[in-house]
Amino acid sequence: MTIRRRLIPYWLLAPGLIWLVLFFVIPMYYMGELSLKTGSLETGYQLTWAFENYTDSISEYSTQFIRAFWYAGVATFFCLLIGYPLAYAIAFKAGRWKNLMLFAVVAPFFTTYLIRTIAWKTILDDSSPVVSFLKTIHLVPQDGRVLATSAAVIAGLTYNFLPFMVLPLFTALERLDQRLLEAGKDLYASATQTFWRITLPLTMPGIIAGILLTFIPAAGDYVNATFLGGTNQAMIGNVIQSKYLVVNDYPDAAALSFTLMAIILVALLFYIKFAGSEALMGEEEETR
Amino acid sequence: MSESNVKRVRLLALAVLALAVSMVLVACGGGGIDEGSDNSDVTTATGGDPQGSLKISNWPLYIDGATIKDFQNDTGINTTYTEDVNDNNEFFGKVQQQLAQGDSGGRDIIVVTDWMAEKMYNLGYIQNLDKAKLPTVEKNLIPSLQSPSFDPERKYSVPWQSGMTGLVVRKDLAPDVKSINDLFDPKYKGKVTLLTEMRDTVPLVMAADGVDPKEATTQDWLDAIDKIKENVDNGQIRRFTGNDFVQDLAKGDVVAAIGWSGDAVQAQSDNENIEYVQPEQGCSIWSDNMLIPVGAPNPAAAYKFMNYVYEPENQAQITKYVNYVSPVKGVREILEKQDPAIANNNLIFPSEQFTKNCFAQVSPPGDEAAQQEVEQAFQDVVTG
Repeated sequence: MTIRRRLIPYWLLAPGLIWLVLFFVIPMYYMGELSLKTGSLETGYQLTWAFENYTDSISEYSTQFIRAFWYAGVATFFCLLIGYPLAYAIAFKAGRWKNLMLFAVVAPFFTTYLIRTIAWKTILDDSSPVVSFLKTIHLVPQDGRVLATSAAVIAGLTYNFLPFMVLPLFTALERLDQRLLEAGKDLYASATQTFWRITLPLTMPGIIAGILLTFIPAAGDYVNATFLGGTNQAMIGNVIQSKYLVVNDYPDAAALSFTLMAIILVALLFYIKFAGSEALMGEEEETR
Repeated sequence: MSESNVKRVRLLALAVLALAVSMVLVACGGGGIDEGSDNSDVTTATGGDPQGSLKISNWPLYIDGATIKDFQNDTGINTTYTEDVNDNNEFFGKVQQQLAQGDSGGRDIIVVTDWMAEKMYNLGYIQNLDKAKLPTVEKNLIPSLQSPSFDPERKYSVPWQSGMTGLVVRKDLAPDVKSINDLFDPKYKGKVTLLTEMRDTVPLVMAADGVDPKEATTQDWLDAIDKIKENVDNGQIRRFTGNDFVQDLAKGDVVAAIGWSGDAVQAQSDNENIEYVQPEQGCSIWSDNMLIPVGAPNPAAAYKFMNYVYEPENQAQITKYVNYVSPVKGVREILEKQDPAIANNNLIFPSEQFTKNCFAQVSPPGDEAAQQEVEQAFQDVVTG
């Protein structure tokens, strides 16, 4: 009886563990092994512990790595810049429109990712009203263009990942104890001071979650660069895609994927160290 | 911060990690095969009494709406026609592991371009055809397609449709583009696109510089790729495209492109300013081919279908819709009565004069490793 009871948690864990092993651990193992092989489709692949797959591909594609992180970083910054006021407005100022506005944030997901991205081709095409306007206010030179530039790729990433930023921010803001704001006011803090000293620190977990949810998928994205970018705007995702599907260089593709994952994980660890694990793991500020 | 909020954030953190991992996994795709493959033990697809069901994988917009239904009514073969070939490389990536294990994924016919047909055959993924089972194909295949260099005896491939790769221009915006080299004219800076398929783009660039693509060395390929890279770096070339070059032309964002003849015909019916121009130094001619993959469950039905679409009346129906070059004799005569505009279109029934400088699509010389090196050099320009 007691043994049985003690086993219950493990039984409950089992489905999740099996899922994890089948669809995560095993594929990761094969990918890792593949990344250390040499050979071709004709000759087959042999495990030769080819660590040069890593060194070679990293040095050869450092441009695309840096570009991917740069684009993703800028897009994340803009998402935060747009997303925070938006989430704030929905949480505090929307009143009875709150649910409708939240729905509007999520609504684009009812269309597929590809269609949404391709729609931006029409919005940004050389003769579109948007681009004419940008030319009028001299943000874009008269003979310039928006589509097939870095700006278009970053705009696409920002648009596509904005909801990933808004939703965690909204959750954090909505849970904010309003009485703390009143207390701040009672203690003669100005609205700005209340924001910087109360609202922002207390919503930091939401900001961090939003940044991670935006940055990580954006860094690995290749769809936006494919459709909205031109030449010399490929991100590391494009390189992996072409290595895998066009060149059929599977070991290099696997090595690049692992490198991307490693960089993101290391960055994540530093970020947690820097931002404080409380923020990520949800320890309360006060208990420090 | 409340207790539930803490949990929520913790959950989010976990979700982030799961997402990170899954994104990277998605980027990775599948693995490869460990054993090499070759075509030393290619089997011949056997036919019997055609019945049962047939499964075909073809490219989008590559058949009219009625042919499959008619075929089913005529033969009683239950046919599943799937448009799941969007790109030779992508399709290869999708089916390679199954084919390596002798499993066609239930497919009886797949349709891929010449060079990919050869690559798959060399890997042992394709069966030989039994010519005795293909009388209509034998009778009606046009002479110019009877012995392509990749399969001189048509041992394993039957052309589905053919086409030309050349210039597609906006005649109102770029009236003087006649040669591939005109694409590199600075006055069209940022208004030019090339195709992502290396075998379409690079040979045309070589031909424009006086290199015969059939005789080209690896160095010739790399030189042409260098020339393309220069024009990428100086902003001349806007981007590399698939079929979507047509949309850029329709909007006028692009004024001249390397593109495919059939797409040009279709686009012209929407915008008469879009026009296919035969490059002065010639075009590249290719075919997409029907193949019977290893492990195909019903080769008998596949043979039946191949014969069926090689009947001129049935083929005419397809040609009217897809606007590519038909590989079947007698189609033009039928269309002259039904639709003279199509019968007299040089892009659908090209005259010898029109294609006199054209060459059959080529691959880089050498073995798979040498070809891979060139492909990698080109891809490094595309994803530069």
